[in-house]
Amino acid sequence: MVYPSNHRQIVEELMAGKFILANEEHFNALKENDKFYAEFFKVSFDLDLNIKSDYAFLLSKESQENFSRDVSIFIAILSYELDRDGRNFMEALEFNEFTLEEIDRYFDNSSFIDLIESNKALREPDARRTLINGMHRRNIVIKNFDDRFSFTQAYKVFVDFAKELAMKRMRHEEPSEA
Amino acid sequence: MIKAEPRSILNFLHTHFDVMRDLFALQSSDGLITKEAYDALIHRQGHTMNIRLREYRVVRSMGSDYEMRDVYFKLMEFLLFEFKPLLPETIEKYKTSIGDLFLKIRKYENQDRDILQERIKNLSHQVREFVDLVERNTFRLLAETRELKSNPERIDYREKVHKASFWIEYYILPLNRILDVKHSESVTSTIIDVSEYANRKRLDMMDETLRMEFEKLYAQLVQTNSDLLRQSKVLVNELLPLLERIRTESLILTGWIEFLRNPYKVETPPLLQGKRTMVYAKDMLFKVREFFEQFAQNEIITLEDGVVDFDKWIFDREHFKTNLAAQMPVNDFFGWCYKELKKDFSDIDTDKFFALCGLLFDEDIHLEFPKKAERVNLVTTTSKISLPKIKVEPALKID
Repeated sequence: MVYPSNHRQIVEELMAGKFILANEEHFNALKENDKFYAEFFKVSFDLDLNIKSDYAFLLSKESQENFSRDVSIFIAILSYELDRDGRNFMEALEFNEFTLEEIDRYFDNSSFIDLIESNKALREPDARRTLINGMHRRNIVIKNFDDRFSFTQAYKVFVDFAKELAMKRMRHEEPSEA
Repeated sequence: MIKAEPRSILNFLHTHFDVMRDLFALQSSDGLITKEAYDALIHRQGHTMNIRLREYRVVRSMGSDYEMRDVYFKLMEFLLFEFKPLLPETIEKYKTSIGDLFLKIRKYENQDRDILQERIKNLSHQVREFVDLVERNTFRLLAETRELKSNPERIDYREKVHKASFWIEYYILPLNRILDVKHSESVTSTIIDVSEYANRKRLDMMDETLRMEFEKLYAQLVQTNSDLLRQSKVLVNELLPLLERIRTESLILTGWIEFLRNPYKVETPPLLQGKRTMVYAKDMLFKVREFFEQFAQNEIITLEDGVVDFDKWIFDREHFKTNLAAQMPVNDFFGWCYKELKKDFSDIDTDKFFALCGLLFDEDIHLEFPKKAERVNLVTTTSKISLPKIKVEPALKID
């Protein structure tokens, strides 16, 4: 049987928990063979493949994953602080470049300081750098230089998560308001 | 009927504009001016103010409360540019009024000239009112949306989502339907029909006065269509995306705040656990474990004196040297060694044999090597040894 081009790269990266982005060459091979790969990962590892127009990643069976939680808290606080600062946080996540100094400023002055201090991946500047490096390894951010990074389209997974959470909450509240 | 001179009224409005603004604000927020609010205002301004307000028909009684008359209210709305957005249902009525007049104009175009002329003028007036309302509504909606975006009242995100959805659902989309040229039921499409009709009639109407009326109507409608198109563009290209964005952003922030309230109780996106690629070998862990395991002592080993199981024979050099000296000259030194050990042991250890052979290097012994290759074969516990026959005798001493 003939495997799609970049097969090994696709499998290795996805199995390493990495996002494959639409601007990467092997994304097309993955997208063109989406049915094959969905079946491949399901049969081989019992994992579900999620392909969107901008990115693709493997879903874990483990729901209590710390990294995902830490990234969610990171983006949540950053979005909130950007909005509080009068900036359009959606545009910032989509287009802006963040410096580590800027991130430290937002986190050190955040009103969510109790939560930040209770989380070992966020409480210290060095810990935050480790988390950002982890996001870089997973293709959630791109490090442009040592001290600055920007988000890839993978941030949308977390934004969609927030949107879904809000809608769930609102749906839940509507009947009681009526 | 107002007895006062128009200039006096305008003068009053000019002098007491702040009072007018207060009355307008009260009427705008509550829909009427409560007796308490009105009395407080009169108390501040003096009793003459009450007389003037009634004389110039600025306010009228509504039971025990008051209301600002519509003409003044609209004037203030216009002067302050503070229009309340109208529900599109209110604006939609112009479809009926314009449509009805249009129908009658077409149906009776060859009958009474005067009534036709009046209908054309009324139609023109209705169109003017319609465009005016649309413009005011769009302007107000834009202002409301921008205010929602900047959020000076710091309303929470869920309220923002609600407001944005409300504006979109009840104002923007219905208003856009009214303005949508492609929609056959829209007011704009009716105006376009009127415009096409007026275009024909301004040319083929026999009566010159009527031709002129249609000409004016046509010119007005051309301008109207262009104005409405501009309003429609503002709605579709600016207002709707802006509100959609406010709604999406507020929805996401609502979600984040909900999440941050207790981030450890919500299931986050299930990302696959990544495996870090190490710079060392993948089986390093197992190798390290194996390495350390060989040093791991599973049971305690105790060493006790006196139970050591080994031969404690110690070579007594002086004893054997004395024996050798007594027997010298000896023709076969190694054979002699073997026999000496044989006196004490039935089996000869190689170590013991070689220890005894060490006497060969003693300075008091002289060695004499055989001329022929004569050898002696000896058997120890571990080896069979073939050795030359060496003769030993006492060494000569030189003083």
